[in-house]
Amino acid sequence: MNSEVNVTEKDSDKTIVELKHVEKYYGELHALKDINLQVKKGEVVVLIGPSGSGKSTLCRTINRLESINSGEILIEGKKLPEGGAELAGLRAEIGMVFQSFNLFAHKSILDNVCMGPVDVLHRPKEEVKKEAMELLKRVGVDSQAQKMPAQLSGGQQQRAAIARSLAMHPKVMLFDEPTSALDPEMIQEVLDVMIELANEGMTMIVVTHEMNFARRVANRVVFMADGAIVEENTPEEFFTAPKSERAKEFLESINRH
Amino acid sequence: MNEQRTVRDALYEQPDAGTRKKITLVTVVSLFAIAVFMLYILKLFKDNGQFDEKYWSFFMRLTTWKFIGEGLLGTVEASLLAGVLALLIGFVFMVMRISFYKPLNMAGTALTEFTRGVPTLLFIYFFFLYVPKMGINLPSIWRVSLPVAISASGMVAEVLRSGVNAVPKGQREAALSIGMRETMVFTKIIFPQAIRYVIPALVSDLVIVVKDTTFSYIVNFPDLMQNAKVLISNYDALLSVYLMAAVIYVLINYLLNKVSVTLAKRGGMVPVVGR
Repeated sequence: MNSEVNVTEKDSDKTIVELKHVEKYYGELHALKDINLQVKKGEVVVLIGPSGSGKSTLCRTINRLESINSGEILIEGKKLPEGGAELAGLRAEIGMVFQSFNLFAHKSILDNVCMGPVDVLHRPKEEVKKEAMELLKRVGVDSQAQKMPAQLSGGQQQRAAIARSLAMHPKVMLFDEPTSALDPEMIQEVLDVMIELANEGMTMIVVTHEMNFARRVANRVVFMADGAIVEENTPEEFFTAPKSERAKEFLESINRH
Repeated sequence: MNEQRTVRDALYEQPDAGTRKKITLVTVVSLFAIAVFMLYILKLFKDNGQFDEKYWSFFMRLTTWKFIGEGLLGTVEASLLAGVLALLIGFVFMVMRISFYKPLNMAGTALTEFTRGVPTLLFIYFFFLYVPKMGINLPSIWRVSLPVAISASGMVAEVLRSGVNAVPKGQREAALSIGMRETMVFTKIIFPQAIRYVIPALVSDLVIVVKDTTFSYIVNFPDLMQNAKVLISNYDALLSVYLMAAVIYVLINYLLNKVSVTLAKRGGMVPVVGR
């Protein structure tokens, strides 16, 4: 099915994720207001904005860890299923990296990476194991493969979590503040892995406060405030000449440090 | 030296010299008081002739110990059966209670509260007096183990549920995000972690199960308590036999706690910080 699409369409024109008029409420709180967003294959989109602006919520609606009240979310043109096997199948194709790593605490690092391919995709164990070791090597934690998550540093855990996502061969990867819970000296090692992924052409949606990362690898910066997308631009334009007042204020507030 | 070795060390600051003196004084006085009290009890026993040879000599016979051993085996069998049943029933109640379906959820809550609230003895009477009338004849071990298990199941369900609730939300989200269905998330990620959190609490419940199996004498199942009763009537030795039985029960439950500590340590899972 994939190859069919590739024949008829130019790869880079293919829309992987599309949000149309997405609205979400938490009770009274209007968390997402008329969100419209398109992410094309190979694009790296960085979501930034003040805390409480809805950027994490937006990220989490894409694999339906958060439900939406109205609007549409399309993955490769198909509507995001509401539940059941279809939703699980779709989630298997969308990688997600969390702020708090969320490695399975009772499984070794290697088992963490193998679990998805073996238990969800029912691939043969030995083959998966080999691939998992290669992935762990790629993110630089292969020497920790037999350890339990709690025995690793935050940076190592997050890199292992990225490997766990990659093991599913995702079409797109969501990063929900992947470095916010890390000690300063560990942030770069995680960002380096993400930069490498971006350079290899992975489609990525990244919620982050790391402006340098956004500057370096983002194709597009999406600035959110109060649940709405306020501004969408290339990183150069956004960081040097923001159009909206909100964005100017936000950039000033972080540049003060 | 490790500074914070006990809960007390963690909760209170280091005592100063004056306080240390007071602590020593109170310790000595209370130890003395306890010793006097124990001696008084022993004297009471002695005055009542409890140390007479006739009350203790039969412990020298092999047959006595064989009989006690058979009772002990009965207690172990009944406890194991009741423990396993309590875990199974408790697990079912817990799964019902955390279910998304309202009716199941309510039934789970009701069953949990009911089994927790009713005394074990009532369940024993029900299975001993009423169930046979319905034409169901259970073997005597089931007549004690099943009611004891049902009585413990509500407690077990609550302990398991607290374990499930203790697993950080992120574990479930991560599992969902790699495409697991809810059932697999529960069986492969949530429950295995939950059980590790609650092993010590589950063993405490098992201790209660072991103690509850002493109701065996009501249904004529030969457990330690029942056999102790037989020894008592044979040798007319109430105190010495019950004392021995008590010591054996303490040993069993001490052993259980040791096992739980080992299991908890071997679990090897250090809880992660997370949401």
